[in-house]
Amino acid sequence: MIDLVGVSKWFGEFQALRDVDLDIDRQEVVVVCGPSGSGKSTMIRCINRLEKHDRGRIVVDGIELSDDLRNIQEIRREVGMVFQQFNLFPHLTVLENITLAPRHVRRWNKAKANEKAMEHLRRVRIPEQAHKYPLQLSGGQQQRVAIARALAMEPKIMLFDEPTSALDPEMIKEVLDVMEELAESGMTMIVVTHEMGFARAVADRMVFMADGEIVEVGTPEHFFTDPREERTKQFLAQIL
Amino acid sequence: MATRVDTLEPVPAPERPPERRLPPRDWARENLFGTWFDTVLTVVFALVVAWLLYRVGKFALVDARWEIIERNITNLMVSGFPREELWRVWAALLVLAASLGFGAGALAATRRREVEEGRGAPPQRASALRRAGPILLLVAVLLWFAQSLQATLLTVAVGLLGIGAYLLGRRVSLRATRAALVVLAGIALAFAVVVAFGGVGWHDWGGFMLTVFLAVGGILLSFPFGVLLALGRRSSLPAVRVVCVAYIELFRGVPLIAVLFMSAFMIGFLLPPGVDRPSLVVRALIGLVLFTSAYVAEIVRGGLQGVPAGQVEAAQALGLSPLRITTRIVLPQALRSVIPGLVGQFISLYKDTSLVAIIGLTELLSVSQNITKQPDFLAQGLIVETLLFAAFVYWAGAYWMSRESQRLERRLGLGER
Amino acid sequence: MLRIAFQAVFLLVVAIFLLYLWETATDNLRRLGIRTDFRYLRQPAGFAVPDSDFRSSQSLFDAVLVGMQNTAKVALLGIVLATVLGVLVGVARLSSNWLVRRAAAAYVEAFRNVPVLIIIIFFWLGIFLRLPPISRATEILDLVVVSNRGLVVPWFEKVGSGAAFGVVALVGLLLAAAAWLWRTRVFDRTGAAHHRVLWAGGVLLAVLAVGFFATGRPWVFQTPERGELATAGGFRLSPEYAALLLGLTIYTASHIAEIVRGSILSVPRGQSEAANAVGLSGFQRMRHVVLPQAFRISVPPVANQYLNLVKNSSLGVAVSYYEVTKITQVSISQAAPAVQAILVLMAVYLLFSLSIALVTNVINRRLTLKGR
Repeated sequence: MIDLVGVSKWFGEFQALRDVDLDIDRQEVVVVCGPSGSGKSTMIRCINRLEKHDRGRIVVDGIELSDDLRNIQEIRREVGMVFQQFNLFPHLTVLENITLAPRHVRRWNKAKANEKAMEHLRRVRIPEQAHKYPLQLSGGQQQRVAIARALAMEPKIMLFDEPTSALDPEMIKEVLDVMEELAESGMTMIVVTHEMGFARAVADRMVFMADGEIVEVGTPEHFFTDPREERTKQFLAQIL
Repeated sequence: MATRVDTLEPVPAPERPPERRLPPRDWARENLFGTWFDTVLTVVFALVVAWLLYRVGKFALVDARWEIIERNITNLMVSGFPREELWRVWAALLVLAASLGFGAGALAATRRREVEEGRGAPPQRASALRRAGPILLLVAVLLWFAQSLQATLLTVAVGLLGIGAYLLGRRVSLRATRAALVVLAGIALAFAVVVAFGGVGWHDWGGFMLTVFLAVGGILLSFPFGVLLALGRRSSLPAVRVVCVAYIELFRGVPLIAVLFMSAFMIGFLLPPGVDRPSLVVRALIGLVLFTSAYVAEIVRGGLQGVPAGQVEAAQALGLSPLRITTRIVLPQALRSVIPGLVGQFISLYKDTSLVAIIGLTELLSVSQNITKQPDFLAQGLIVETLLFAAFVYWAGAYWMSRESQRLERRLGLGER
Repeated sequence: MLRIAFQAVFLLVVAIFLLYLWETATDNLRRLGIRTDFRYLRQPAGFAVPDSDFRSSQSLFDAVLVGMQNTAKVALLGIVLATVLGVLVGVARLSSNWLVRRAAAAYVEAFRNVPVLIIIIFFWLGIFLRLPPISRATEILDLVVVSNRGLVVPWFEKVGSGAAFGVVALVGLLLAAAAWLWRTRVFDRTGAAHHRVLWAGGVLLAVLAVGFFATGRPWVFQTPERGELATAGGFRLSPEYAALLLGLTIYTASHIAEIVRGSILSVPRGQSEAANAVGLSGFQRMRHVVLPQAFRISVPPVANQYLNLVKNSSLGVAVSYYEVTKITQVSISQAAPAVQAILVLMAVYLLFSLSIALVTNVINRRLTLKGR
């Protein structure tokens, strides 16, 4: 479903990704963790071309990411993304946030877009907030709207870039619950997160990154109980 | 699940990033001819720009009769200033160069020490030559027109003294407030050198010298008024607040020329009988100060609002008196953050001093209009040359200051993080 | 208690100071035999205003009104032109085309750092007044006549009945609105691209074109004819008006360009990323996400530039364009009492400034992002 081969990325002189190889199957849930600055976010941002990789190949659902704008647009339609800072459009209502892309990109009519949007809002359990503006909502509610917005394009893949890092502790659970349900429904997901409880419960595979490279990959049981790499052990010791 | 992960290899030495410098052909394709629309834009703009450059270049280098500037360069700089007293102006320039150089050097030393101690952001790299570019260009142009060995030598002396004072200052290291005091003392001394001991009073000043005097004097005198007005506007006493708001909004709501008319025509009537009307320079300065204080007040108010409420609360918790809180806690923090805004206001004031030409003062703009009426140059359409010259002088100063202020803004912005 | 006492003393001091100024002023004026009331406004002006039907026998009050009209004439058109030019330059500064970007930056840096007064005087003395006289005037494409008497541009001259065409124009507007609504409904119902602007504009143009000929061509497009001493037909911009308008436009546009650029840049990067991530195209991203937010940010500073433009229009006094400041200056030189005339002048500008501020506040309040 997603294929990264030898992907490297530089920011000026700084190398953010080193020869990253990763292959993700349909319906697989992959949790990526690692210390800050390890390239986790950069990696998933490369998958929908928010960052341009300098070397290597990325193939998403059979489409290769190149400079061709049509390929990029095609991939972005199939890949939903949820950001750490929500990035909701503050000048649009919740409903408008969700229907904007379906109406203008998928060309759905208004009734269908609204109906689908309400469906997704029910799924993230805040249908009653549809006509409010994002800044009127709590952080947890905003992040759930962001998930609904991404789902509204009916993507095949969802990327989560530290979705709970900007949230107050009491709101983390409501977001994680929604993500867990999504995983159970069979969505292909890559989640960058430090929520190890979530990872243990939901992940099919764990990916540990440090210094721009993938250090270790494994099933959650293996990863948490018997990591092979020294750097992984150190990281787990700090975080658990 | 076919995932290769090399977990055993040590971290490879960082590879070189791929070469980002594009060869000229690729660079042009990316930046000039990306799409057909880009190509059209590039061609149209290239034609227009080339035509403009050709016209301006041909005018400046071939057609223009710069003789009028060459013969009047002293007029443009000081206008009616008595020629036998010109040495005072040079002496004042030397004093200014020394104090500015020393202050800047002392500040630079302090900043370097702060960076070494890990406080404060490191300065952005930019060569001194590049930073001083517009000013050097201005000086070069002025000397070119002056065509005088004496003036050149004196200018070099001013420059060298400035650099020398800078190097001296770097060994001293002063805090910003002390450095500012040094510069202020230099300005006061320079002023005294021109005026005192049989010197020349400001009613005889003119040209670019008057422009600079009005701008510097205007901002320095506006500053205390502006701070008071800003504090008044933020006061908890409604009466004080209303009066300050009324003043600020009144002077921000009318154009400068109306204020200048007011101070030129009305001040005479507002003085008790028997008191002489001050000279036009003073009246113009009063108008500039009345007007500018309102703007300074709004800038300072912005700075005051930027001071977190927690600062005041912390000071109150320590039991400081309201006056102490204002002068020791709030103002120092606020004033630091309003420096770029004040520089911006100074730039507008510098440009706006051209308006005093309308009420009859002979500053740079009015001299450049007047010299076209000299018998030798009358009715030859030389106004283009003289206005372009004046515009260039204003431009060099304003452009230099705005660039420096952007640098400062970035630095202060970095410092806050 | 102390607070109230302090405020009372403060107010008293301010009041005494103002009263003192007022008393000395009236005393001085009386001693000089100058009147201290505003009845001078009813006196005949004693001067004519170029390019208007104001007669010198009309009152000074009427002269001030004419001056306000002329201020509005140059300020309103200046605001429109400066906005258009400023937005274009500001967007050009963010262009991906190197040459366009640098040219726009050069424009901004060149004009922002020069006194607007020099720009205005340069256009007046350096360009418009140095143009050839009408007998040797330049004609551009036979449409515009350029001479030292000003710029004459083609204009519509009314020859037939305007009323019938007015009805047609109204119908055209209604039909255009209908087309707009129809396309919106199509878009809502089917999701097909609406092209509302194209449709509505097309309908309006078509109706106007058909109506124009159907009502017997009530207007003719008149290009100016050059005579020996004057031009006939067309619309004449005096050198003074043209210089002031151009100077204000070019100067203010350089400031607006910086605001436009700054506001677009200040929309958080995350907004663009989110727009990209949901698959919007570059144009859709600008239209639906970036520009609406940049617009909000730019309203207060741009309104401030409009205010500056209105205030800077007072520089018409330097190029003898008879806006309200020039009128005041002339009437003072024609023996109107200076103190009162200047007070009237300041009141006029306060009126302009406060009305702009009021409109801005209303707009701003409606645009504020809704939060808790």
